[in-house]
Amino acid sequence: MIWFSLLVLIPLAAIIVKASGGGWHTYADTLSNSQTLDAIKLTVGTSLLVTALNMVMGTIIAWVLVRDRFPGKALLDLVIDIPFALPTIVAGLVLLSLYGADSPLGLHFANTRSAVFLAIAFVTLPFVVRTVQPVLEEMETDVEDAAASLGASRAVTFRRVVLPTLVPAIFAGASLSFARGISEYGSLVLLSGNLPHRTEVTSVRVMSYLEGGDTAAAASVATVLLVVALLAIVSLDIIARRVARRDGRNG
Amino acid sequence: MSIEVKNVNKRFGDFVALDDVSVSLPTGQLTALLGPSGGGKSTLLRIIAGLDSADSGSISIEGTEATHLPPQKRNIGFVFQHYAAFKHMSVAKNVAFGLEIRKKPKPEIERKVNELLDLVHLSQFANRLPAQLSGGQRQRMALARALAVEPTVLLLDEPFGALDAKVRKELRDWLRRLHDEVHVTTVFVTHDQEEALEVADEIVVINQGRVEQVGTPDQLYDAPANDFVMSFLGDVTTLGGELIRPHDIEVDVTPGEPGAIEGSVSRVLRIGFEVRLTVLTDVGEVVTVELTRTNARRLGIAEGSRVYLNAVLGATRV
Amino acid sequence: MAKRLSERRRERGTSSSAGRERRSKRAQRAHHSAAVGRRNPALTWGLRFLVVGYLLMLVLWPSWYVVQHTFADGLTGIQTALQDPDVQHALLLTAEVSVLAVAINLVFGVGVSLLLVRYDFPGRRVLSALIDLPLSVSPVVVGLALVLVYNGRYGWFGPWLEDNGIQIIFSWPGMVMATCFVALPLIIREVVPVLEEIGDDQEQAARSLGASGWQTFWRITVPGIRWAIVYGVVLSLARSLGEFGAVKVVAGNVAGETQTATVLVQQKYQNFEQTTAYSVSFLLAFAAVLCLIVVALLRPKASKESR
Ligand SMILES: Nc1ncnc2c1ncn2[C@@H]1O[C@H](COP(=O)(O)OP(=O)(O)OP(=O)(O)O)[C@@H](O)[C@H]1O
Ligand SMILES: [Mg+2]
Repeated sequence: MIWFSLLVLIPLAAIIVKASGGGWHTYADTLSNSQTLDAIKLTVGTSLLVTALNMVMGTIIAWVLVRDRFPGKALLDLVIDIPFALPTIVAGLVLLSLYGADSPLGLHFANTRSAVFLAIAFVTLPFVVRTVQPVLEEMETDVEDAAASLGASRAVTFRRVVLPTLVPAIFAGASLSFARGISEYGSLVLLSGNLPHRTEVTSVRVMSYLEGGDTAAAASVATVLLVVALLAIVSLDIIARRVARRDGRNG
Repeated sequence: MSIEVKNVNKRFGDFVALDDVSVSLPTGQLTALLGPSGGGKSTLLRIIAGLDSADSGSISIEGTEATHLPPQKRNIGFVFQHYAAFKHMSVAKNVAFGLEIRKKPKPEIERKVNELLDLVHLSQFANRLPAQLSGGQRQRMALARALAVEPTVLLLDEPFGALDAKVRKELRDWLRRLHDEVHVTTVFVTHDQEEALEVADEIVVINQGRVEQVGTPDQLYDAPANDFVMSFLGDVTTLGGELIRPHDIEVDVTPGEPGAIEGSVSRVLRIGFEVRLTVLTDVGEVVTVELTRTNARRLGIAEGSRVYLNAVLGATRV
Repeated sequence: MAKRLSERRRERGTSSSAGRERRSKRAQRAHHSAAVGRRNPALTWGLRFLVVGYLLMLVLWPSWYVVQHTFADGLTGIQTALQDPDVQHALLLTAEVSVLAVAINLVFGVGVSLLLVRYDFPGRRVLSALIDLPLSVSPVVVGLALVLVYNGRYGWFGPWLEDNGIQIIFSWPGMVMATCFVALPLIIREVVPVLEEIGDDQEQAARSLGASGWQTFWRITVPGIRWAIVYGVVLSLARSLGEFGAVKVVAGNVAGETQTATVLVQQKYQNFEQTTAYSVSFLLAFAAVLCLIVVALLRPKASKESR
């Protein structure tokens, strides 16, 4: 408990205290800095977009992994976890090799906003897949068969029977992926070029404040990040609770 | 007295699970804690074992004050409803566990384990994992495991609850025989009155956290202390405003004895060799009566017959 | 004796049998899913193609390129890289820091998991929510937080610790702490569900047979959760080896001293020593993928065993 406080709670508190130390105007100053504001906008905006993509793609991937069978599926299952386990800096390098300056595909994403999108999509890939997968596994195909036997088409079955069951898991995964997205740093360092106002994300902004010795500003941007992350966690918890209640109702 | 429970209270939040419970359980006997679901039987047993602690009151085991002893110091054997088998250990290892904890010498452990596996007829399964045993075998293993440490008292929480009816009956007889062999003071929880009546030397009836009655099966059956015990230990019906067992009612088609209650048969149900009548008396009481088929045939009873009901001599009534 | 959580267990009384059911369902799925697959081949193939294509473009192909870059001139790239003393030092440091951090997280993680599952105390819910916090905090913020508290000049505890001869920031304790922070939830997230599923029946049985708390822990609890611990450790190791942002902030990035492998990759890349950067990246990625493969191989074994 003490360890947890020393390691996590007190340091995080320190950020907030530091940021609040200069009163509201530290926040006001920092956040009115247009470069910082642009970074936050870019980070949150891109994370939202990526999260939306993940909700769709993640569900589809989970579906294929659970319901389909084909040779090499086990490998795909493994591939999903690579972005999670890969060092983020390496992830950046990995993406750079295909989408960077000497891209064999002719896709020069490096130092553009597409690169930010790409990197965040890469590192957040596993979240929705891994929350939806177990729910799908538990869901019986009987239910779908029953719906089909009652005359529902495949599309209707999916929308009316399958999707409602998956929604809580999709949202839980989405909030994890969003929280991860806004806090991404390592993979972007090499890939995005960190161009102010264009491809600089919030974490990089915090880093440059820090390197410039302005800890108060760094702390206030960090606080913004923490608050957004916290919101994500809270919504995750609420959804998890709702899932639990639903389980209870179904016996 | 082997186990002495005095004024034990236990609450879970606002809910009173045990309300001032005092019982003495005699040495060397097989005692059943009987009562409806949620009555507090498991709670009491777990408090005796030290797996839960009482809010107030005291427990002593074989004269030793045990209220604040942790479970491992009470020298008890506990058998759980769902076996609680150690999944990663073989059957023999499971049984040896308590002995190993007590740092007994290897040869002694081995001898004891073999002896116990023999006793519970599991010798040929010694090297299997619990997952490879049937429910009944698992429960016997759990029993051997509990007996291995030579406990002063053996506590069983619905030991046969998770088994099917046939295996349950087999194990029940087997437990009785086992107890006659080893004579360890045994307390077992059940909500099945037949099981309690058949196996136990003494029965403690518990309902809503209170002890309703303590006695031998006969005492309980013949002289129930109250409505609850009466109705919990067997079928009951009312006759003349009193609880009575349906087979303790005499049926006649002629007004014989004075004071007989008159009515007409509204339903006749044959169950095997037994006939169950539903009689609507003239004062508006609905009475269930059981009689043998022979008797029913002799009296020529059918739906609509006029009958006269009497309690038999020595009937249990509350 | 702290109160056991029999109440919560009873609510979940059926959890272990539910788990068993779930697994047998999973076993049945073999033919179910075949049936689903047959229903509409066009859609099935469409989805397959979409998924494989997406993963190929996003993960597989780029990863393959790193391998190609690394081995562009055969093994010489890696060999030269490994001869660079900075690289050697960085790899060694990374390994040391990771192992230490994983060891600390192991002890702490198992302890907290037991606390969360087996005991009831005020604030349990809050703790269990907070445990996940590190997953959502930017590594840079983690670094910043630690710097603010343990910095030797103006940190909360830093000056005091420094007076007592302990330097945390710009030194290995800080790097270990940063690594611990980011990998903190991984072991707990693996162990908690398993502890919940096995319940405390076996532990109680052990207690009733005379085992002390410590004996029960080692002989009953640990064997029950050993696979969960193994996954947790492997995942934590992967995460720890790859930590970048947080370590970069607290370590100070002095080549040959406090520079870890990931930080070195960035530096080498920016200094146009691409081959070295790719080689070290390859080694790190290789370690990470190895961890994943270990987990993937272990998983079926464990679920079979707990059945
Ligand atoms: N840990 C607990 N927290 C809250 N309530 C509890 C707890 N344990 C038991 N109870 C309540 O106490 C009452 C008695 O429980 P107990 O388990 O002793 O019943 P029982 O007689 O063994 O029933 P059964 O035959 O169903 O096992 C029940 O109403 C139960 O809900
Ligand atoms: Mg019970």
